[in-house]
Amino acid sequence: MAEPSELFTELLSEVDAILLFSPTGSYYEEVVAESEVPVLVVSDGDDIGAEEFVELPLEFDDVAERIRFGIEGALERGLLKDGDVVTCAVTMFDDDIDTTSRVRVDEDMESGIYDLFSNSRADPSVIRAVLELAIELGKKGQKGKPVGALFAVGDAGKVMNKSRPLSYNPFEKSHVHVGDPIVNVMLKEFSRLDGAFVISDSGKIVSAYRYLEPSAEGVDIPKGLGTRHMAGGAVTRDTNATAVVLSESDGLVRAFKGGELVLELDPEDY
Amino acid sequence: MVRWSLFTDQPAALAAAVLALGILLGYLIGKLNKRLLTAVGVSDAVEGTPFERTAQSIGTSTVIIVARLSSWFVYGVAMLTAIHIAELVNAETFWLRVTQFVPQLFIAALVLIVGFVIADKAELVVSERLRGVKLPEVGVLPKVIKYSALYIASLVALGQIGVNTTALNVLLAVYVFGLIFLSGLAFKDFLASGAAGIYLLLNQPYGIGDDVQIGDHQGIVQEVDVFVTHIENEEEEFIVPNSHVLESGIVRIRSQ
Repeated sequence: MAEPSELFTELLSEVDAILLFSPTGSYYEEVVAESEVPVLVVSDGDDIGAEEFVELPLEFDDVAERIRFGIEGALERGLLKDGDVVTCAVTMFDDDIDTTSRVRVDEDMESGIYDLFSNSRADPSVIRAVLELAIELGKKGQKGKPVGALFAVGDAGKVMNKSRPLSYNPFEKSHVHVGDPIVNVMLKEFSRLDGAFVISDSGKIVSAYRYLEPSAEGVDIPKGLGTRHMAGGAVTRDTNATAVVLSESDGLVRAFKGGELVLELDPEDY
Repeated sequence: MVRWSLFTDQPAALAAAVLALGILLGYLIGKLNKRLLTAVGVSDAVEGTPFERTAQSIGTSTVIIVARLSSWFVYGVAMLTAIHIAELVNAETFWLRVTQFVPQLFIAALVLIVGFVIADKAELVVSERLRGVKLPEVGVLPKVIKYSALYIASLVALGQIGVNTTALNVLLAVYVFGLIFLSGLAFKDFLASGAAGIYLLLNQPYGIGDDVQIGDHQGIVQEVDVFVTHIENEEEEFIVPNSHVLESGIVRIRSQ
């Protein structure tokens, strides 16, 4: 009879690095003290003082997504390279780390999600807040009916210059930021308005009711998406903004950057 | 009436009664204080401070120490009164001074304890706040705050028991003056920019997306916050302090 720990040795042997997902401080210290290979931390805030750290901007429920994001972030930061084999220790069921998985790092895994957060003009926390807002809006809709919304995040000056108001701006002279508790309710009400929300680099909601008029030339988005997505995609090509679009018809949240679709999420998964 | 006068004629018996009453009262007050301090959440507030940890390590806690202190105070007063009634020692002036001194000693001890706890707590809170700042030198700040609080607490305590603290007071005045003076110097620009920023945010003479010229810099306004305005043109982003915006005036450029 072989012990389980012997049976699964090949799963855990000869790895180039260990990725810990949201570990506790003491757990991290323990692993670092014992480990012979580099230990990387992937979590939503660096509160344990890890040396090599990848920030997780969304609470990915799906473990595969979470691992993919962590590896992408580590690749981007140059902490891992193509062909490395890593062990990922993640939480699947409870609050503690209970699952490990062996993953071979592949350059092709890059989908641009990490890039969306870390290399956008706007603060990662702002993009995260907007995504959360869109997910929330997609989940609940307005009074049970599905709604669509378009957020142009970052580079607000340029976006404002390349758009025109459809009506009075309800956010005129207001100083609310995405992530403020009141904003969820406010935006839910305003989501019935036509046009786009414009959000600045630091998360200030500059305007609602904006009609974006960038040139749609050379925008490459999948066929079948509507005008809202086209406008969102086009404005990111013309400016340095990132667009977060909630589709009214299929309920998916999509993010555009540089005129390309970089992220597609189903609100129901979060 | 006869029985009462009989009782008062026996100073020793009266003293014993006062003593017993005092012990009972002290015990009750100690219990009450403990309940009261726990109810207002003192034990949670002091949790994690070194003072509390020291108290825990010797098998007690801040709440218990403060409650005990109040008990002892009542015991002490009862004892003194009893001794006075029993006329064991007969020196009026001595007793006068002692009865004045005991409450002050009690308050001094209380101030010291509270000072220690506040100093520790302030150090904890500040270092917690600064944990996100990855700058080793910043570690000095919580210590400075802690010792400032301790210094003031010990000054109050010493003043309470009548020690001459003039020199220490002068030192404190110099320290506070230096602090205010230096921070005034350091934050002068911030204050000016902050005041201008409040005006800009409330009145919004220009908003995000406007094409403006401030001083020598022309571009599109990207962001306005309390202290600075971000203006961006094709190649450069200027971060202009708001005080400068008001000083040099704003030119709004209307295109076409």
